[in-house]
Amino acid sequence: MSGLAAVYRREMLSMWVTPLAWVLLTVFLLIQGLSFYTIVVHISNMSAVSMDNGPAQAYFGQSIFLLVSLLLVCPALSMRSFAEERRSGTIEALLTAPVTATGVVLGKFLAMLTTYVLMWAPTVLYIVILRNTGQVDWAVVASSYLGVAFIGAGYLAIGTLMSAMTTSQLLAFVLTMMAQFGLFILGIGEYIFDPGLLHAISGHVSVLTQMDEMSKGIIDLRRLVFDSTLIVVPLFVTVRVVDSWRWG
Amino acid sequence: MIEVEKLTKDYGTVVAVDDVSFSVGRGEIVGFLGPNGAGKSTTMRILAGFLGATSGRVEIAGHNVVEAPLQARGSLGYMPEAAPLYPEMRVREYLTFRARLKRMPRAERAKAVERAMKLASVTEMRDTLIAHLSKGYRQRVALSDALVSSPPLLILDEPTAGLDPNQIREVRSVIKGLTESHTILLSTHILSEVESTCDRALVIDRGKLIAEGSIDELRSRRRATSVTLLLRDAAGGAKKLLAGVRGVKKAKSKRLDGDLRRATLLLADNVDPQDVIEAAIAVLAKTDIGVREATPVRATLEEVFAQLTHADMGEGSDEADP
Repeated sequence: MSGLAAVYRREMLSMWVTPLAWVLLTVFLLIQGLSFYTIVVHISNMSAVSMDNGPAQAYFGQSIFLLVSLLLVCPALSMRSFAEERRSGTIEALLTAPVTATGVVLGKFLAMLTTYVLMWAPTVLYIVILRNTGQVDWAVVASSYLGVAFIGAGYLAIGTLMSAMTTSQLLAFVLTMMAQFGLFILGIGEYIFDPGLLHAISGHVSVLTQMDEMSKGIIDLRRLVFDSTLIVVPLFVTVRVVDSWRWG
Repeated sequence: MIEVEKLTKDYGTVVAVDDVSFSVGRGEIVGFLGPNGAGKSTTMRILAGFLGATSGRVEIAGHNVVEAPLQARGSLGYMPEAAPLYPEMRVREYLTFRARLKRMPRAERAKAVERAMKLASVTEMRDTLIAHLSKGYRQRVALSDALVSSPPLLILDEPTAGLDPNQIREVRSVIKGLTESHTILLSTHILSEVESTCDRALVIDRGKLIAEGSIDELRSRRRATSVTLLLRDAAGGAKKLLAGVRGVKKAKSKRLDGDLRRATLLLADNVDPQDVIEAAIAVLAKTDIGVREATPVRATLEEVFAQLTHADMGEGSDEADP
């Protein structure tokens, strides 16, 4: 794990002193604000709202905006991590320091994850606004954020791997986006296939269904295990890729 | 400090480093010489732990780079070729990051960064973004990065490449200032750089170590081995006359435009080329052959080291010594 803390601090600095994180934050909050606004307007015109279909549930569980923003934010956050280091040659200075590949990969990943979570932080204000006009179940809100964090972490891990496999940031961005989109399409299968094996698989990997459940406070361990797999496997492969550069 | 045994690195079909063995003792300043693409950078990257060897054994300060990579990398400061740095960081920020990465205790970091900046003369740029630095300053920031953890061994890959003559002088004087407390291995393709800074030189060509010797040996060999003359000689009689001049082993002559000829005189061992030029002109002055130019030709890098090792490298090397 040697080098984790130093790499983490540098990545955080580099993320926030360059415009990238700020631009992404702006776009992300614009999309989230639009999503929240349309949901609030829609629901305020309804005569009766059930507890399971409140604005917070719609915001986290039924909005396509959430996936659209992740489709943009996660690849953009992760595209630089290794591609840029290899293109500019700084990877040579980094890997000749007494660091381990695991330390470098985790340091970079945790910095991305922190930035990602920080981007979500302002959206807590929406929930505060909702509380001023009605009731909010904070445990359910916590479960929603947990879902968002797990899904994002998986996408960022995939992005880290893609970035390690190419020296082009653009290619890393596109590959990550394609992987995310592929997973999304697989999840759509739940609405296409007849009940059976394919239907079950699609249901298990569906981001939409997962967020629908978690926005209602249902935390299914199977979903968290699947998300963790999406985090651990790409990161493990990334560590192997970084190690392989020495022996290539 | 460095022990390299039968080091080989191949990239598929290309053998970049071929069965190289050498050692560098504590306190030595060793120049690693060779033309571009000879395998200098590959060898240094293997020593620094950036690349793995195909076969062979490398020890840095007693640590095997494969079995104890962190200890090996921890005991050296490496400056990669072209000095890659993060443009979005300030000089002090970058060096602090590097000190943290090299596991310096928190209490010593600030002091170590100040010291490294002072040694490489970048203190006045401490708060400047690396993106705004000139090439010379970047090179020195990379050098202070190599120094920041006070490693006993420095491996510098072409520390003066791409700099203008003033900057080269500055970087060289910085390196000279380090020689008391560090063991240094530096690579270059410039012979005079090794002469001015190193005790000993290793010469690598096409992946093979072709020579190894002290700078004094090197210097004694670094004299002209031939003389060229530009002559106005319509009849072509100069060649015979010049072959008879004392100290000339062999004379060659080649026709150029009009009645001009270029004569090349290969000198015998330990002959002063100035004497030969004087004698040759004296001989030619008695005839109607005109002398337009007389130039002693210095041995190329490879020739010098071919002589050092008494190996037959042949002629026609295109690696000129600037």
